[in-house]
Amino acid sequence: MAMLKTEEWYDLARQTNWTPRYVDKQDLFPRELSDLHDLPDDAFDVFDEPYKVTYRDYVRTQREKDVGAYSVRAALARGRFYENAAPGWKALLQLHFGGATFLEYGSVSAFGRGTRFGKAGGMRNMSTFGSLDEIRHTQVHLRFAYDYLGKSRAFDWAHKAPRTDNWVVISERHTFDDIEHTRDATSFAVMTNFAFETCFTNLQFVALSADAARFGDHTFATMLQTIQSDEARHSQIGEPLLRILIEHGKTVEAQKLLDISFWRCWKQFSPLSGICMDYYTPLEHREHSFKEFMQEWVSDQFIRKIIDLGLDRPWYWDIFLEDLETFHHAQQLGVWLYRPTGWWHAVPGVSPEERDWLEQKYPGWNETFGTVWDVIIDNVLEGRLDRTIPEPMPMICNMSGFELTGVPGKKGKVVDYPLDYKGRRYHFGSEVDRWIFQQEPERYAGHLSLVDRFARGVMPQNAEAVLQYMDMAPEERGTDGTNYAWVEPYRRLRGKAA
Amino acid sequence: MAAFPLVVNFVGDYGFKVVLVDDALTIGQVASEAARQLAGVVVAPLAPGETLSVKLPGKAVPLPADVKLADAGLIHLETVEIHRADVGA
Repeated sequence: MAMLKTEEWYDLARQTNWTPRYVDKQDLFPRELSDLHDLPDDAFDVFDEPYKVTYRDYVRTQREKDVGAYSVRAALARGRFYENAAPGWKALLQLHFGGATFLEYGSVSAFGRGTRFGKAGGMRNMSTFGSLDEIRHTQVHLRFAYDYLGKSRAFDWAHKAPRTDNWVVISERHTFDDIEHTRDATSFAVMTNFAFETCFTNLQFVALSADAARFGDHTFATMLQTIQSDEARHSQIGEPLLRILIEHGKTVEAQKLLDISFWRCWKQFSPLSGICMDYYTPLEHREHSFKEFMQEWVSDQFIRKIIDLGLDRPWYWDIFLEDLETFHHAQQLGVWLYRPTGWWHAVPGVSPEERDWLEQKYPGWNETFGTVWDVIIDNVLEGRLDRTIPEPMPMICNMSGFELTGVPGKKGKVVDYPLDYKGRRYHFGSEVDRWIFQQEPERYAGHLSLVDRFARGVMPQNAEAVLQYMDMAPEERGTDGTNYAWVEPYRRLRGKAA
Repeated sequence: MAAFPLVVNFVGDYGFKVVLVDDALTIGQVASEAARQLAGVVVAPLAPGETLSVKLPGKAVPLPADVKLADAGLIHLETVEIHRADVGA
């Protein structure tokens, strides 16, 4: 039987808007869940996603992706890749699976909001595929992480993380609750589909899968590639909505959504991807620095796209460029120093050769971040391991949820950006974090960071109680991933006997 | 006597730490306690006889070393900087 070509029926089939007769439009599409920008209903009629797919094609393609990914996994399952992997790569896998899996699962619900409350038929259609995508991403993460469970308890965190109050998890929840789960469907699409997925997941999955392939981790590389192909499709829900907002005089609102979400995503990706790329990936397998990836994918491609749309680069662009040079280096110090608070076994990534690379990619690294590592190296060489884990807690930014840091050393700059609001002092790691709070204080004001909980006596005020509060069983607290072998070149350099 | 959390940057460190001290301590003793916890951990150890001062961010004049923390007019999670004498006291 002759079948219509897709283009002959697709546009008609996805135009599923109708005139409700049994309920009010406000009940069908509540403002708070559908569109806080009060766009007229017919504004959504022109929604046109650039990447079109039918359900039949979707299912066939997704099945092929799964077959490919699981075939690679099965073919390599009997190898001893993990056992033979560099400690930094193990740390990267442990961090990735613990930190990313629950975000994938959360996105199932976030896309569900687009499916139910999106006001454009095409948006609801594509959001449905988005939910199905995220279910698959969750499944593939859980399945691949499970393969490693017998090798390291850290992979338990693929399942465990969201049910804990680990500080990294709190930070992720705060960010993605903000841009994914507590916005109307239109704003969600701009903040998540456009800002987060167009910009940052491209970076995460393209760059990381390239690193994985170079390192020989073909299982992980294949998994990331199949996920990226989904992200590339469903991220395109955001752009048509941005165009609609701009065409209806909502440029200021669109710009603000973009400015908030870009920064919030940046503050997640900088420590998580930045550390993985510049410290955990073995030196011989690094092609570009994290900064170089960001410059290519963000400064060039993403910014060109938003300028083309009629928007501006975020107002804080100079601050961002400065942060690009520094933030993840400071976070790497904290992640290693406070390693018992993480589920992964962190590595320093600061051998003499790695320091040369860091200095080349980030001029001035040695006289800033290197000064703290010098103190750490002295302590490890002298056997003072107790002095390599600070006694006080790190201060946490009330927006990003990560350590409140700056640049160390004599030429450094460490600045707190405080704000008093309704009798409480909040602390922010940057002017931008504070600006985001000020845009909508009541959205953020009630949240207690781990430090706020500690200071208020939610838990006993000692290190062991904090670790227990974060559900860090003694056996799963992070240790140095190399068992301090990284310091041996320094011992030789200093002429000390091992 | 009560536990008093301060947000401390020991100048030279990469960030801020939450140092929990007794509010009966003097500001000078607070500086010593911060040094005990952070010097030789994230910044170079103190040299023999090296003195410290405590400042509020952006302020040129240090807090009086002999005043008790409870009487210094600070709030919980106040931000302070610990300076070595040769850096800016």
